[in-house]
Amino acid sequence: MTTQETVEYATEHKPRLRWAQHAPEVYKAMLRLDAAARQGVDPRLLELVKIRASQLNHCAFCLDMHSKDALAAGESVERIIQLGAWEESAHFYTEKELAALALTDAVTVLTDDFVPDDVYERAAKHFEEAELAQLIAAITVINAWNRFGVTCRMTPGHYEAGQHR
Amino acid sequence: MSRTTVLDREVAQAFSALSATAKRGLDDPALAELVVLRASQLNHCAFCLDMHLAVARQHGVSERQLDLLAAWEETEDVYDERERAALALTDAVTVLTDDFVPDDVYERAAKHFDETRLAHLIALIVSINNWNRVMVSRRIPPGGYTP
Repeated sequence: MTTQETVEYATEHKPRLRWAQHAPEVYKAMLRLDAAARQGVDPRLLELVKIRASQLNHCAFCLDMHSKDALAAGESVERIIQLGAWEESAHFYTEKELAALALTDAVTVLTDDFVPDDVYERAAKHFEEAELAQLIAAITVINAWNRFGVTCRMTPGHYEAGQHR
Repeated sequence: MSRTTVLDREVAQAFSALSATAKRGLDDPALAELVVLRASQLNHCAFCLDMHLAVARQHGVSERQLDLLAAWEETEDVYDERERAALALTDAVTVLTDDFVPDDVYERAAKHFDETRLAHLIALIVSINNWNRVMVSRRIPPGGYTP
């Protein structure tokens, strides 16, 4: 900010649990899983998927991380912001990306409904089988990070783009 | 249209490794099965329910605990306080799209599990959520698991 006005923000919370320190081998297993699941998924699409799932799961830490990574990789601010209402801003995305976002929503909100046939079939139209399997795995893995982030209340704001690459 | 049965070998191994690590650290196989079954109920994973009902019985989880799991909150003498704390955490971590994990739920779990155990319990809940997603998305039918 360039003005001299001081804005007082709320106090930053501390994490509940430093899970990676208490379970380092779990953290290693997650890194291995993340690396395996991102194979064969377009990196640009992957960040969109990760941001969208993190929105649905309300993971502040993950939103901070993946929006910064997406921006650093050249993603547009518009496309990142519009993810919160992607169904209403279809023209910001390709048909393939839209199919992946619909699948992301369905696989993420699993407690309300199964993954509907039309959503699955739309994805299957745009992704060949092995790629689709990897996309499902990648959506699953960001859901996993979201669960750690939210449950342990990991503090957003301190991530620097590329830090976890 | 049938769904894919493909699951990359490396990905599958990584999912399994995470499960194994979480279970090892929690070091309570019967409790682990209750947690896994409860998450699978919430995520409607038929394959996972079928598989883990068999595994739970192998680990000596009682029929009564299995029968009443879908309504565990309304039971009085079926689950002990530690199990109830773990189940409450399972519900909160699994249904993440509706709400954050409430402080009282987290603190209740933290009372019964030290930080290392708690980190592994959370990892186990995450891990079964992984399997639930992978199985439900591909609509893998129940019955494929043999103990």
